[in-house]
Amino acid sequence: MKKPYKFFKTIPMKIYVLIAAVFTFVFFSNDFGLVDIQKTAIIIAAGVDRTEQGFHLTAQIGKPKGSERSSCGTASVDVEGDGETISECIAEIYSKTGWVPKLIFCDTILVGEETAKDDIMGALGYFLRTEYMPDSCSVAVCKGTARDMLKSVSAIEDTTSAALNKLFSNAAEKSGKVMKQSLKEFAIDYYGASESSFLPYITSESQDCGGESGGGEGPSSSNGGAAGGQSSSGGESEKPDKKIFKAEHTALFSQGSMTAVLEPQQTFTFSLLKGKVEAGTFAVDDHGEPVNVSVLKDKGNANLKVENKPQVTLSVNLKVYLFDRGVSSPIEDVARKELSKEAIEKSTQLISEQITELWNTCVEANCDLFHLSRSLYRSSPKKYAEWKELLLSTADLKVEAKVETMK
Amino acid sequence: MHKISARQIYFYLAAIAPVGKLMLMPTQLAFYAKNDLLLPAAMNYLLQAGAVFLALLFASKNRTFYDALAGTIGKIAAKIITCILVLFFLYAGLLPLLAQKLYVQKTLYDTLPSAITFFPFFLLSAYLCAKPLSSLGRVWDILLPVSIVGYLGIIVLSIQNADFGALMPIGASGADGIFGGFAYSLNWFFDSALILALAGRFEYKKGMAWKGMLSYLAGGAAILFFLAVFYGVYSDIALHQTFGFSEISKYFSGITVLGRIDYLFSFALTFVIIFYGSLPLHAGVECVYEAFGSKRYLRTLFSVIINVGMLVGVYFLNFKLFVTLQVITKMLFWIFPIFCVLLPALCLLLKRRKNEKAV
Repeated sequence: MKKPYKFFKTIPMKIYVLIAAVFTFVFFSNDFGLVDIQKTAIIIAAGVDRTEQGFHLTAQIGKPKGSERSSCGTASVDVEGDGETISECIAEIYSKTGWVPKLIFCDTILVGEETAKDDIMGALGYFLRTEYMPDSCSVAVCKGTARDMLKSVSAIEDTTSAALNKLFSNAAEKSGKVMKQSLKEFAIDYYGASESSFLPYITSESQDCGGESGGGEGPSSSNGGAAGGQSSSGGESEKPDKKIFKAEHTALFSQGSMTAVLEPQQTFTFSLLKGKVEAGTFAVDDHGEPVNVSVLKDKGNANLKVENKPQVTLSVNLKVYLFDRGVSSPIEDVARKELSKEAIEKSTQLISEQITELWNTCVEANCDLFHLSRSLYRSSPKKYAEWKELLLSTADLKVEAKVETMK
Repeated sequence: MHKISARQIYFYLAAIAPVGKLMLMPTQLAFYAKNDLLLPAAMNYLLQAGAVFLALLFASKNRTFYDALAGTIGKIAAKIITCILVLFFLYAGLLPLLAQKLYVQKTLYDTLPSAITFFPFFLLSAYLCAKPLSSLGRVWDILLPVSIVGYLGIIVLSIQNADFGALMPIGASGADGIFGGFAYSLNWFFDSALILALAGRFEYKKGMAWKGMLSYLAGGAAILFFLAVFYGVYSDIALHQTFGFSEISKYFSGITVLGRIDYLFSFALTFVIIFYGSLPLHAGVECVYEAFGSKRYLRTLFSVIINVGMLVGVYFLNFKLFVTLQVITKMLFWIFPIFCVLLPALCLLLKRRKNEKAV
């Protein structure tokens, strides 16, 4: 009799514990992360432009499939808002649409060229402040306005943001053609001792895709218009101008303002100096004929020594192999991966010249791209205080480029 | 009475007490001491490890705090001092609770939810507080692996993105930064006071005082390493990262493919923090029950009163975290050394029982 009595006596406590556990679980679950898509605007990319009033925000919002812009995959709609601050723009989007804007899935922030020329943190500050947005999202500057760029139609993807995100893939970064940057890294650079950073600079060009296939089916070649004409007679005038995007240029920033834009080969050199290139290629001349060289291993470094005068050493150490020739070659040569002595010398010379060119651009733009001030601050705050204003303009450059062929 | 084992006390000191310091303390230290954040944290850990040593020495008498006080200064005075200690526990436990609430709201929710979403915590806490403090031993046995896995997971995922060079140059924030960081983070170090509340509820074993101190220092080393990784990941913007421990691992390159697997580890630590957050309340209930309670139902009653009081406090301070932070950490920080360093030292002066031998 004693045991059942004890059991019944403890029932209220058991129920209490169960309720407490269930409630705590519900509290932690956040409604299991369910999002009411009918009430929520999931912003997948944001474009910011400065206006006379303040800012213009173009929010690309993910939508269920079946919209005009999509035949498959993710669809989107662009909603715009104006305000003195970015948060006001967001509030305007909310009031216009009735959707609660959600930034948690925002992977890309695009900033218009003119906006980037003035302190860009005014535009990016909101995104850094808000706790409900990942600071790991990519940030880029675009030619023209961010509005136009985001509202353009991608030739290869359903949404512009998806096409832009492809540019910032790890593979693209390893090719050395793109230097991607996250909001967090940009903010660290901006608030750090160097006060300099970079962002990929996006350009677009028209692409005649042909047909009605739209995004998601891959790009057609630019001369594929004839095929398109066959499939949609009379629809030519309604077809939007489809674009492909490139991020081969890199915008340089000093104290938050864009001060220069690197050319594609300078972006590649910057990637080499950062040691990020794996399987990237570049072309050199071998006995008067073009040779394409692929990078197997890249070790880049920027070193600063301050004795009487600052001396900067920019070094690149590459392991490469012959990737392609622009002319027909015998099968023995096709099987070879080794570069000729002349090609190695020319590669070394080319990289050295490009490093010097890159350095000169940085000096002119007053952009401490290699965070030399930061290194100096970390190693000697005294010397940093002495040299911080003159570091770039007075430093002597020493270039060390070494190219080895795979044997 | 069932007692906590020595092993469980070591587990608490090495793996559960440190987790409570992962929430706001890193940001707070980065705010005051910038890249020197390890120095004030190390100073606090050394000071608190000494205080834990003293508290464990006091526990070697196998007497509870109230019992020892009553034996020396009489029951009425002991009750008054115990009440003051209980108020201190509520005061010390307030900020971790507010931080925990904000952490869950910001991390697990993508918009700010209603304040009421945190309140189920008090249902659980009230249940825990209604149990004797000595029942925590088994909880700590379970929490130890959870805490270690959570900590290691976060460190492993984030270390590749840490630039330890950001911690240089040492001393850049100056004496103001370092000592400011030390003083204004004292509020996270009240473990010795909790040990006082636990005294008499665990079997003191020979050498436990220094073993406990070493366990505490081991936990401290883990926290210092975490702080180094935290600052390495965020560098000059570290002071902006309110809840760094759930964020530093999200930059792991595999996350783009695997999704936010780091949440598993954050959740593990959040689970530990629930129990850590309720511990000051639990200690308060235990002390007040010992001083004023004679019947079992009173423990439940005290638990309800303290938890409801704390719930009301948390509700009213819902949007005042940073004001509370300022008051507790900047204006009234000196309260912590009184209860967490001075009190354990003074406790050693309390009268021994006649048949009590020195340890």
